[in-house]
Amino acid sequence: MKSWLVVAAAIVAACALPLFLAPSGYPIRVIALALLFAALGQAWNIVGGLANQISLGHAAFFGLGAYTSTLLLINFGVSPWVGMLAGATVGGFAAYILSFPTMKLSGHYFALATLAFSEVLRVLASSWASVTGGPAGLSVPFAPDSLLMLQFKSTLPYYYIILVALIAVTGIFVWIRQSALGYRLRALRESVDAAEVIGVDTARAKVIAAVISAALTAALGVLYAQFTYFFDPDSVFGVISISIRIALITILGGVGTAIGPIVGAFVIIPLEELANVLLSSRTAGLSQLFFGILLIAIILVQPRGILVLIKSGVNRARRGKTS
Amino acid sequence: MSPPLLQLSGVSKRFGGLHALSDVSFQLNDPGIIGLIGPNGSGKSTLFSTLVGLHKADQGSILLNGAPIVGLKPHQIAAKGMTKTFQNVALFMEMSVLDNVVVGALLRYNVKQAHEWAMRCLERVGLADIAEKIAGDLSFPERARIEVARGLATRPTILLLDEVMAALNSVEMEEIMALLRSLRDDGLGIIVVEHHMHAIMSLCERIVVLNFGKKIAEGTPQEIAMHPEVVRAYLGREYVSGG
Amino acid sequence: MAFVQAVLDGLMIGGVYAAISIGLTLVFGVMGIVNFAQAEFLMLGMFIAYFVWAYLGLDPLIGSIVAFVIIFALGIVIQRTLIQRVMRAPAVAQIFLTVGLLIVIENLALLAFGSSFRSVSTSYQTSSLRLGPLFIGVPYLAAFCMAVLSGFALWLFMDKSWYGQAMRATAQNPLAARLMGINVERMQQLAFGLGVGLTAFGGAIILPYFTVNPTVAEQFVILMFTAVVLGGLGNIAGAVVGGLTVGIIQSVSALVFPIQLQNFVLFLAFIGVLALRPHGLIGASR
Repeated sequence: MKSWLVVAAAIVAACALPLFLAPSGYPIRVIALALLFAALGQAWNIVGGLANQISLGHAAFFGLGAYTSTLLLINFGVSPWVGMLAGATVGGFAAYILSFPTMKLSGHYFALATLAFSEVLRVLASSWASVTGGPAGLSVPFAPDSLLMLQFKSTLPYYYIILVALIAVTGIFVWIRQSALGYRLRALRESVDAAEVIGVDTARAKVIAAVISAALTAALGVLYAQFTYFFDPDSVFGVISISIRIALITILGGVGTAIGPIVGAFVIIPLEELANVLLSSRTAGLSQLFFGILLIAIILVQPRGILVLIKSGVNRARRGKTS
Repeated sequence: MSPPLLQLSGVSKRFGGLHALSDVSFQLNDPGIIGLIGPNGSGKSTLFSTLVGLHKADQGSILLNGAPIVGLKPHQIAAKGMTKTFQNVALFMEMSVLDNVVVGALLRYNVKQAHEWAMRCLERVGLADIAEKIAGDLSFPERARIEVARGLATRPTILLLDEVMAALNSVEMEEIMALLRSLRDDGLGIIVVEHHMHAIMSLCERIVVLNFGKKIAEGTPQEIAMHPEVVRAYLGREYVSGG
Repeated sequence: MAFVQAVLDGLMIGGVYAAISIGLTLVFGVMGIVNFAQAEFLMLGMFIAYFVWAYLGLDPLIGSIVAFVIIFALGIVIQRTLIQRVMRAPAVAQIFLTVGLLIVIENLALLAFGSSFRSVSTSYQTSSLRLGPLFIGVPYLAAFCMAVLSGFALWLFMDKSWYGQAMRATAQNPLAARLMGINVERMQQLAFGLGVGLTAFGGAIILPYFTVNPTVAEQFVILMFTAVVLGGLGNIAGAVVGGLTVGIIQSVSALVFPIQLQNFVLFLAFIGVLALRPHGLIGASR
């Protein structure tokens, strides 16, 4: 009962927050971005957290969503909402296809395969200029404020749409975790053989989780495209800017937990923006460097995330122990 | 006349040059307890793994309730009614005891019903009181019994038990044996691999003996105890004379 | 004839890919981890050779030896301070540690060297030899020869020296190796240092026909990993064959496919091997 209250309070607070901020200002934009990446982390959490399939290639689905929807919009004037459905379908289908050759892989091999997949898509998008606009990227054609075309001058409407998306993805994550699929994923995470022998179709469970995760990621890619108006292969298919950032967010906050990606996003994204603001010209290298150092630090100190770190720190302080 | 619960004909399995199983045939007609014994390396665990589909038999046929199962995936064989426990116990260590059994129950039930059925399975093996403990925190004998509960949760027709009595004291062994007898009385077919000879002899109606992947004997405990090749390969003369 | 020329070109560049990839497979073979940062050491090797050329006037082929030595030492330091600590950790930790390393190295280079592209000019850069109706670019040939030399040197080391044999023992069975008195940790440090040093060496020898900048690693990631997977992760001879194969595939597919699809062909090869023969075309060596 108590956790329901906390969640409800948090949602109310999140809804009320923009009322105190300038609707097109910088702070609200940063928060909206953090919400979007929290949702992305949550989608990754479905495979990375529940099934322990470490994907380094989720940018593939993100980019597929962004490109599918925007190309449909540019070429056929299709609403980005439809584009989201189309993008999710393309992303989900890509995950389905990719699951065949990667089914027996795990750990390093699996990470490698997913990384290669997203890299190939990035290079494809960059070189197939006639279709994708090449390295110059795509711009979302301008439209006046419209919910149908998912375009707004101010950040405020985007904020609420992204917030709803985060709630939806988190809801899906929680639902999966306590469903039969969740049990099966947790089982096969520990022992595929034991799970199989007691009746778990491990292949099917993995594919379903992967397709759901990919479809959600692709849909979020559409949101990103509409939010930022412009993207290129490196920004949506980027290994470091998308795939690793998503994974880092989730791992930092606590992989496999519902709140992990949210905590992680609200630590990383504001910190990145802070680094960008404080450090003037060489920011690109510096903020990413900080990123990389943070990742290494987390892995070495507490791979289970800062929540566990904080909890154990609090416990130790409470007990007054020094060791 | 209903088909035998389990029927193996000419089952063979090779790993490269190693003939792990050669032309193994036997069958289990009615609910009962069959013992599978033999020296280390004789192919007992390989036979179990082949029966549940972790390995694919190179030759021969395996019929479960009359249906051929060679080539099926383990989860399909579990759905058809056969499952096994693991010699080194493969519990899901980070999940609770109850959740471990729930995973098995999910084969037949939805999540809510699976919890109820899992609880009943735990009661059956006498471990309902530790349902909430984390599997990784348990002792080895407890883990072995949880595996049995997990196997039971899939509502099998045939249950394969791979050395569940290892590391048990005599009291615990009597409890397990009583449990297995009551499961048999409820209509389950059970094949046990064990090295505890007196347990096998008192528990099993029939015993199959493997050596170097081949079946060298099959019969009642009394027949097996006197069988010269079994004595030579496995039991040793002391057992016969002392027995 | 164009086909034969393409095969020849592919072989030349493939030799270099082989030199680059051996390091990656060596690390996996001895330590069981995929070093996702491997390509960054290639970039570092290129930069070292560049600076040796720019400030000392030495040909990159000599600079490559300097690069090897420096990066070998750096590799040992990194292994001891960072990688050692996750050797017993789950795959998640190992994967993201080397990924973090990738990010740190690339961005340190960006901060230190800036993002401009630099290239060297050597006397033989544009000359080529004739082999009947075929041409071989001299820089390519020089790089190929250096790659072959380094491969031979490595083979000598792995086969004949005690350290090499100890490393192979560690790769096959760490526990048994430890029981035989082999200091497994030191072997892992050696393997990592050798591995990244070789890749840095490979980067340096292609400097004459490449431009270097801190982000150059990403062009080689797919190539390197495909070569290694084709030959079987951990199989050094396989990495050589894999490197040559990748070079040839790349070169030949340039004849047939537009540039956008070339990497796709490589990816198909990569994913096909991973799916059908995860131990590589050569077969398991671990």
